[in-house]
Amino acid sequence: MEEVPVIKTESLSKRYGVLFWKKKNLSLDQLSITVPRGAVFGFLGPNGAGKTTTIKLLMDLIHPTSGSAEVLGKPVWDPSVRRRIGFLPDAPAFNGLMTASEFLNVCAKLLKMSKAERKKRVPEVLETVRMTASADDKLGGFSRGMLQRIGVAQAILNKPDLLILDEPLLGLDPYGRQELKRIIREQNKLGTTVFFSSHILADVQEICDHAAILNRGRLLCSGKLGDLLGSQGISVRLTDGDDLVRDLLPEAKECQKKGPHEWELTFEKTPDSEKRLQELKEKHAGKVEVVEQWESLEDFFFEKIEQDNGGEAGKEAKE
Amino acid sequence: MKEVWTIAENACKNILKLKVVYFLVACVLILVGSMYRYNEISLNRHRELLLDMSLLLNQVAAILSVLSLTFDIPRELREGIAATFLTKSLGRMKYLWGKVLGIYAVACVVCTLIAIGSYIIYASCFPEPIFLIYVKIQLLIILSAIPMTSICTFCAVSFPEMAAPIIALMAVWFSSLTHRLKIPVLNGGILPDLDLFNMKEHVIYQVDLPWSYILGTALYGVAFAVFVMMLSGIIFRLRDIK
Ligand SMILES: Nc1ncnc2c1ncn2[C@@H]1O[C@H](COP(=O)(O)OP(=O)(O)OP(=O)(O)O)[C@@H](O)[C@H]1O
Ligand SMILES: [Mg+2]
Repeated sequence: MEEVPVIKTESLSKRYGVLFWKKKNLSLDQLSITVPRGAVFGFLGPNGAGKTTTIKLLMDLIHPTSGSAEVLGKPVWDPSVRRRIGFLPDAPAFNGLMTASEFLNVCAKLLKMSKAERKKRVPEVLETVRMTASADDKLGGFSRGMLQRIGVAQAILNKPDLLILDEPLLGLDPYGRQELKRIIREQNKLGTTVFFSSHILADVQEICDHAAILNRGRLLCSGKLGDLLGSQGISVRLTDGDDLVRDLLPEAKECQKKGPHEWELTFEKTPDSEKRLQELKEKHAGKVEVVEQWESLEDFFFEKIEQDNGGEAGKEAKE
Repeated sequence: MKEVWTIAENACKNILKLKVVYFLVACVLILVGSMYRYNEISLNRHRELLLDMSLLLNQVAAILSVLSLTFDIPRELREGIAATFLTKSLGRMKYLWGKVLGIYAVACVVCTLIAIGSYIIYASCFPEPIFLIYVKIQLLIILSAIPMTSICTFCAVSFPEMAAPIIALMAVWFSSLTHRLKIPVLNGGILPDLDLFNMKEHVIYQVDLPWSYILGTALYGVAFAVFVMMLSGIIFRLRDIK
């Protein structure tokens, strides 16, 4: 049996506006993506690319002009499916008069949690996002980053099968970012598929295994990060490996001394070199560390976007 | 159904937490009480004046309470507060019903406070007993908030944020003037006949009103409200939410 993708869109398009006052351009143009179960999926694109639009379509907040979308195997307009999704909106805003725990309790009630469950789960998520100390403070007095944390807390409240986060890293301090990345990883380990948009490409590369790039409403590429990014070679880190270095040096592309007896060597990625390094690692366990070096997502992102923009500009110039 | 109560409870609590609500109730009661001093200007008809004022202001309070819907719903939609709730397993129709019930509860609380306060003021100033008919007429005012909440909900989901309260207020106003402004289609057609809920003279002249009338009017109000809510639900479901 083929596994049902967690998110599947088919030629999803969106043109904003009401009745006769429609925008001229499509904000989302024929988007078809699939997000497999268990993935951490980074959804990238410059400002105005259509990321938030896609996410809102997936949450049934806005309606598609054409095309269709399925989430967890059900059409997006099915309200029952939303109980299994955690969602963090673009700029989380909550009623300022409520305290953090009151708000989370309302959310838990809407998710049909029993009283006993709520009593256990609300302090739990507050602890996860490190907001226990502010549990009884009014949300109106919270900073941008604190609201973001509460937003994350309400998203993971129901232990969702799918987490959809719109720019979750925005507004967080460096600690907050670390913690959010930790939360995403933890949730993913528990079996949650995570789909999020972000502009912080280094973080995306760090935690995602899949990515898609969107530009001006169109999908430029999508897939496993390993398939998208070209390999830049394999690097080997040697601890206490002065003797090994001598053997390996002739084939290495690059060699750097990292400490008194520590070396880092980079090799071209070929089946041969891969095999050899793997053997070496097994032979000198503990002394040798092999890491694949990827092209940075940032370079890849710029390349793709500029290709797309340049191509268009070129066409216009010709005309 | 439980979700509807959660939204209603939340909407109601959030407004009743505002101190300004109680301040306005106090202002109304002071105004009502001050009517007692108008004996000379009103040629000793200050009893009627006081009663009329208490009922009129209670009606205004009901209108203002339900009108808050036309601010509250668009604001929650614009700020994205509603999106958080709607993306839980809450249908859009349930959200609207929750809001309507919550705000209706607010209107009930505010009107009851004013009614009780006004009655105490009346009873301490005048000997004529009016208890039962007074209760009935105040009940009608509270019931009149039912069709009004549905009108406000309709305006809140159908019109731009700036226009919604103005259109809602005009609709309520026209509905209250059905007998005077005889515009066919509009009065009693599209708009409800709110005159049916306005029976002030009965208190002032102590003429009894049968319970059957109140029941009939209530049913009329509920039927109108359900119809308008269905319509609002359809429009709301078709809308894009920010
Ligand atoms: N409510 C709206 N009404 C009209 N146009 C809109 C609306 N929301 C978004 N758009 C348009 O849709 C396009 C895509 O916007 P979207 O918010 O999806 O971008 P984004 O990728 O999330 O950008 P950012 O990185 O800045 O958040 C933009 O051109 C924007 O002008
Ligand atoms: Mg966005």
